[in-house]
Amino acid sequence: MLPEAVADGPGGQVGPEAGAGLDPVEEGLLPADTRHRFLLAVCVASGALTHAYHLFLYPLYTTDEGIYMEQAWSVLREGRLSPYTYFYDHAPGAWLTIAAYVSVLPMQFQTFGDAINTGRILMLLVHIGNVFLLYQIAYRLSRRHLAAVVACFFFNFSPVAVFYQREVLLDNLMVFWVLLSVYLLTKEDRRVRTAMLSGLSFGLALITKENALFFAPVIGFLLYRQVQASRNRRFALGYWGFAAWGPVSMYTLYASLKNELLPSRLNFSLSSPPADHVALLYTIWWQLNRNQGGILDPGSAFWQFSLGSWLPKDHFILMAGSAAMVFGLMKGMQDRKTHASLLIAASLAGSYTLYLIRGSVMLEFYVIPLLPFLALNIGLVLDHLLRDSSAAFRVTAAGAMMVVLAMPVGGYVLYYNDKNQLAPADLYNVPLTPMQEQELAYVREHIPTSARIIIDDDMWVPLHDQDPPYRYAHSHWKASGDPAIRDNLFHRDWQNIDYIVMSNKMRQAMVQNNGDGMESWMLDAIDNHSSRIWSLRHGDVELVIYQIDHGGGGQ
Amino acid sequence: MIGLVYIVLSIISVLLALQGGYTLYLMIYTWDDPRVTERTRAPERFSEPSLSFTVMLPARHEEEVIQTTMGRVVGANYPAELIQVLVICSADDTGTIQQAERKVEELRLQNRRGVDLVVFDDRPINKPHALNTALRYATKDVVTVFDAEDDVHPDIFNVVNTVMLHDPVKVVQAGVQLMNYRDRWYSALNVLEYFFWFKSTLHFFARYGAIPLGGNTVFFRRAVLHMVGGWDERNLTEDADIGIRLSSVGVSARVVYDDRYVTREETPPTLGQFIKQRTRWSQGFLQTLRKGDWRRMPGRAQRLLAAYTLTFPIVQAALGLYAVAALIMMFEVKAPIMVALISYLPVLLLASHFLTAVIGLREFTEAYGMKASWGMTLNMALAWFPYQLVLAFAALRAVGRIVLGVNNWEKTKHVGAHRQRQEAGEHAA
Repeated sequence: MLPEAVADGPGGQVGPEAGAGLDPVEEGLLPADTRHRFLLAVCVASGALTHAYHLFLYPLYTTDEGIYMEQAWSVLREGRLSPYTYFYDHAPGAWLTIAAYVSVLPMQFQTFGDAINTGRILMLLVHIGNVFLLYQIAYRLSRRHLAAVVACFFFNFSPVAVFYQREVLLDNLMVFWVLLSVYLLTKEDRRVRTAMLSGLSFGLALITKENALFFAPVIGFLLYRQVQASRNRRFALGYWGFAAWGPVSMYTLYASLKNELLPSRLNFSLSSPPADHVALLYTIWWQLNRNQGGILDPGSAFWQFSLGSWLPKDHFILMAGSAAMVFGLMKGMQDRKTHASLLIAASLAGSYTLYLIRGSVMLEFYVIPLLPFLALNIGLVLDHLLRDSSAAFRVTAAGAMMVVLAMPVGGYVLYYNDKNQLAPADLYNVPLTPMQEQELAYVREHIPTSARIIIDDDMWVPLHDQDPPYRYAHSHWKASGDPAIRDNLFHRDWQNIDYIVMSNKMRQAMVQNNGDGMESWMLDAIDNHSSRIWSLRHGDVELVIYQIDHGGGGQ
Repeated sequence: MIGLVYIVLSIISVLLALQGGYTLYLMIYTWDDPRVTERTRAPERFSEPSLSFTVMLPARHEEEVIQTTMGRVVGANYPAELIQVLVICSADDTGTIQQAERKVEELRLQNRRGVDLVVFDDRPINKPHALNTALRYATKDVVTVFDAEDDVHPDIFNVVNTVMLHDPVKVVQAGVQLMNYRDRWYSALNVLEYFFWFKSTLHFFARYGAIPLGGNTVFFRRAVLHMVGGWDERNLTEDADIGIRLSSVGVSARVVYDDRYVTREETPPTLGQFIKQRTRWSQGFLQTLRKGDWRRMPGRAQRLLAAYTLTFPIVQAALGLYAVAALIMMFEVKAPIMVALISYLPVLLLASHFLTAVIGLREFTEAYGMKASWGMTLNMALAWFPYQLVLAFAALRAVGRIVLGVNNWEKTKHVGAHRQRQEAGEHAA
């Protein structure tokens, strides 16, 4: 056993827990370095496998994936941040990254078939990077491979993680920057350059998705612990902050240069928003004031997604991760010095959990940034609980847990289907996106490119990034919300629509988005003035194409 | 045409940002890596005195401070028989000669030998000529130079003796530090320049073998001075020049900066003096650049580093012109967003330089037992841009002097402000 002093590295750094043991204690057949590399390679390879296999077929292409791909398209093709009015709903770091990635591909958006497929390959690469970072973070915090392997197992295999991490979402890229920031801070070189790069990573996380801000207090605490006893602490702290501020300042400068930093006449009224131009600070104010009910509201988005989407996909990572987080917080608060690693990991998960439960507007995939940290907590706490066991028991227990979770009992990889047959989980078995490809093929074959079409964003790039493009194919979100499309092109009149191409649950989204009645004219077109010319149904997924009857007759 | 302007503007911005980033890295080089910090500190234990030192004290119109400096050198914690002191004056400087003679006599009465006055009456009357003259009388293993206003640390010879015995370097540059950071509007920024230069930048130069040495508290094995023929008497920065020449023949240098053992100096007393000093430095660097000794350095990285360092006055002059142009463009040119964002990069770097200065002030004051107020930080913020313009002006003036063929030595006046403050502190204590 190592002395208690191991708990804090040089300069009060976060290190393994007291008595956790460094490499000489962690016995094994292979030399420590080789073992480390081998296990890391296994984790990375398994992450690549679970995310790459069936990547283009499951899950369905979603609206948000389409939005970010179309915004990346706009960056490359138009030199703008969005093909529509960019109203600062999100910082552009993610789709600038996607655009940079697409720009180097030989066939750009078509390199992997569909544009979203091309984006998903980037997500796969990002996930591989994330696995590497998570493994290293877990190992540095615990000095134990067990914690790192277990954390990566959940991160790689949890169905809720695989489901969302395959999708082209800002959150996945943001997680990469946050993990990189933490990874750099857990490096023990105590260099100013390392702290600065960590700050830069965090700044990039902020302009990739703003809710990375909720990690700031914990990362700040980690930074402070790491450098507090160093001679260069002032530079490390100052440069971290400055580097984080750099990308954010570029973003605000962009808004300022476009005269879109402040709303006109400093009008921050939420009831009568400024109409003449969009403004970054107004959008932030608007976002801060949006509310869908917090954890105390049983009808809130938090409970809706927890019970309706997340827990059904994987209850284990959420429940065990939350329990591990609470355990880590309690142990860490009891003795911050000895259990600094548990406290850091638990606080990282805890700070983002606070964001989720506080009651802002939330989408289904907002759970993504929580997942690596829940996995990290499970790994660290399991290692903590098994610390006094023999190596053989530790490996057996962890291995058994992973096998059980992969089997039908856990359902991570295999499950019993409706026919009580052993089958791979839907993630690796059910092809969903071919339905959307058929829908797209129908549009291309039967609808003229001059048609005015209401679509969902998932097929926006395929319709616009071809020759000749469907110039008048627009998302129902923009047809209802962007005055340039709604008022100038469609004039809020169903007669100006030729076709409506419905993605799965698009109808539901239109109804939910119709609080101000701006979707009504499109719903009216569907309900009273259209003919269903194509449809496809599989399970609870339904795709439909309507042709609008300009002769006045409807179904 | 306007498109071309935007392209040029973008390229300049990127280059400036790169230059700013590189300068920033040099400024924090030793802080960046704790291992470097440890390597650059003075030894904690001193070896037995073994090496002997010839101390050269060139002085011109330094009657106010020369006696104190001689006293401090003689009073060092090092065996008297291992130290030779040569005070060097030109024959026309009777005031300094008189003060120095008195001090020599006083020391003789105290039975302190090995302190002599070297007077020269030939030309040119400048520091390198004074040093070359005295070099003929130097008899000890190691030759060192101090300026007349320097506050030499009593243990500096022990530090260098230990370093040279344990490290086979022929040259040691020890720290020099301006101290009176509150005296003038530009003092804090000037003090910090020294702080970063000696505590960080020089270490980087030494590591890559292309080091423009400082003018004092620099220690040479006597043999290497003879090998390169002493100092260049036509060069206005003979210290930087000899450093480059030694680097070009493969003589390695070690930099030791330890807050405890620095030689203390003062900022120039007036803005005019400050500009003259800066002009001289810039002109000297450009002279060294034109001489081309740096081209003989063995490594490409060394040559690049030396060229960059010696070209810096031109860069600084260009920066000054660019700053004015940028101010005009800020109000007159409505550039595309992308060009404007790229133009923002140097501003970010400028802000990071200021942040570094603010942190540096904290480091400096803590190292020397002082306290930096937020008011001082505010003063620094206000002085920042004017200071950059002054530096740019001095660099432009240096370029102008070279073009006009003006090469005379503009001496910096010393009033002993750092000593007054120190003594006042000592009295208060």
